[in-house]
Amino acid sequence: MKVDVGASYDTRVAQALGDESLRTALDRATRRLVERRAAAIAAVDNTRFRNEAQAVRQYTIQHLPDLLEELERNLTANGCHVHWAQDAEEASRIVVEIARQHDVRNVVKSKSMVTEEIRLNEALEQSGVNVVETDLGEYIIQLADEPPSHILAPVIHKRAEDISELFQQKLGMAPSNDPAHMCSVARRELRHEFLRAEMGVSGCNFAIAETGTICVITNEGNGRMVTSMPPVYVAVAGIERIVPRVEDAVLTWQAASRNATGQDVSVYFSLSSGPRRPGHADGPDEMHVVLVDNGRSRVLERGYGDALLCIRCSACINECPVYREIGGHAYGKTVYSGPIGAVITPLLADDPLSACELPYASTLCGACRDVCPVKIDLPRLLLDLRGEMTHRGGAPKAERIAMRIFAAAARRPRRFRWAASVARMVTSLLSRRSHETIDALPPPLSAWTKTRAFPRLAPKSFHKLWSERNG
Amino acid sequence: MAESGTNARGLILERLRQSLAGQSPVFRDGMRHDELPAIPTAVTNAQGDPKTLANLFGARLEEVQGSYEVVARADVAAHIVRRIEAWRRSADGHPAEFDGAVSWDPDEIPVPGLEAQLRDAGLSLIVPDDLHNSACRDRAAAADVGITGVDAAFASTGSVMLASGLGKSRAASLLPLHHLLVVPTSRLFATFESWLAHERQEGRLDDFLRNAGQVVFVTGPSKSADIELQLTLGVHGPGTVHAVLFDDAGM
Repeated sequence: MKVDVGASYDTRVAQALGDESLRTALDRATRRLVERRAAAIAAVDNTRFRNEAQAVRQYTIQHLPDLLEELERNLTANGCHVHWAQDAEEASRIVVEIARQHDVRNVVKSKSMVTEEIRLNEALEQSGVNVVETDLGEYIIQLADEPPSHILAPVIHKRAEDISELFQQKLGMAPSNDPAHMCSVARRELRHEFLRAEMGVSGCNFAIAETGTICVITNEGNGRMVTSMPPVYVAVAGIERIVPRVEDAVLTWQAASRNATGQDVSVYFSLSSGPRRPGHADGPDEMHVVLVDNGRSRVLERGYGDALLCIRCSACINECPVYREIGGHAYGKTVYSGPIGAVITPLLADDPLSACELPYASTLCGACRDVCPVKIDLPRLLLDLRGEMTHRGGAPKAERIAMRIFAAAARRPRRFRWAASVARMVTSLLSRRSHETIDALPPPLSAWTKTRAFPRLAPKSFHKLWSERNG
Repeated sequence: MAESGTNARGLILERLRQSLAGQSPVFRDGMRHDELPAIPTAVTNAQGDPKTLANLFGARLEEVQGSYEVVARADVAAHIVRRIEAWRRSADGHPAEFDGAVSWDPDEIPVPGLEAQLRDAGLSLIVPDDLHNSACRDRAAAADVGITGVDAAFASTGSVMLASGLGKSRAASLLPLHHLLVVPTSRLFATFESWLAHERQEGRLDDFLRNAGQVVFVTGPSKSADIELQLTLGVHGPGTVHAVLFDDAGM
């Protein structure tokens, strides 16, 4: 069964939990990533590493407007065109307009969450431009016409057999489940795209303010292709992606690499500081940088500056016991899943209540906080969000009624004792043996037991024990 | 200046400034950073004389599926020829255009006599001058071997750094299936951070990045684990990376 990202939260979770092959793939993938990360982290002084990375990111967010101006100044001095976009629509429109000005028919893209976020592919395709995703995983899900399920490993939910079938169907590949063979087929297809594309689009892992440089991390080399081969290069950057100095970019690159895939560093780290210089053989003749807000300033406004520290390594996602069961699609029509996705999806939205279930997709176990390379206290942010959702009326109706009834009972001792003894009687009737929990309550209380067991109340209340003991 | 027609720039900056002014501290742990944090310390470590560093560099490169050899200065060209011939022999299933190597300008690769020795072995060097020209692009894209020098190499991770420049195409290290790196030990640093500190102190870091247009750090062959986390090499860039290191002291 496929997870329908447009369905309700409960449906999505049920679909994901019912999908055996998805759960097998998730288990394999997250387990490997967690092990590799642990080994890579054990090899360094991680306390110092995290403190330094956190300090750089915190400084950046605290001085974001000044650093953005510095970045813009230096990019412009380097010969780049800088654009600002308040929202997804404006950002996409800017890129489409650049494509139109250059009569672009083919665009190659390297993987980027921010371009997913602004739905750039749709906008380009609507204006008649052919867009090809060039990260192997993204290419596969583009062929399958699915959204990515993990910010780092977008086809984490697919088995080799599934991908082989897709390649046979769409690319006419001879049957083979060998990843190396499938990879060489993709190399050939995509090489053609790189060399004919008139425009390359990438995201931006880090933008260095002091030099006006856009940094792109890839392992496959598609980041280098996209930033080097087409005559026009457009980098789309979230406004929080800045670091002040070159050294900070090299630090956060290493933090992202170790925490994402357990590598010391990614295979490629491309630092573009403008179009090709006179006499150079390759590189774009024109370089554009689109600085995208799309809710980021609102995250700060809403008091969640911590969430902007994220360097998108995805360690929190791989460690999350909830993500490991349900996968990315169960988080809905968002591009960000896992603990960080549960925090920023509602915060980036116009109306946080549109994603009010997501902060509950967590057991608050704290694994995410413990691995975060910039020390974001994700459980704390999730709890704060839950509080806000409740205040804004985001809590489920049944929960609100239950809480009102509880409040009414708890305000008066006699009423409370009476209600408790009734509850004790009912729960002991429903659970036949003393240690048993209750798996099914009648509506509306079934809303609770649908997802959790309800404990049987103790045979004697604390109040009763206390009065017996003290006579 | 913003090129966008709307006043997005002003509005975004204004909103950020207002939000920041209204919050102190900005973060839940109460941290404030009014000054730039100190320059980060090295994440990895390496030490030793150039020879030790050369071998450490090689060992690290092997860990990420690359290969290396440390050779005497006089033998560098011969080793490069031998390596390319080995690749040619194993070039099964690849186009017959395997008749040349796309390369940096030989003047940018500090190996005397390299071009002559390659020619003697029947290999011509393609030094592309404009990848936006389709004839030049097709020729560069057909070569299966790329030869480049390095601007710096880093022992603790087996990484190299290549800057775009005159006679220094990106294509040579990106398009072919095999990449041959020529690494004189004078360009070898212990860590990224030691190189950064050196460039920063000399006051060159800023100009270096800006003048290059693009600088890339490369650590091993192109790879992916997108399909069931199984490692595959040569996804878009080279699937083999071989470094030839030599001591160039006194050159």
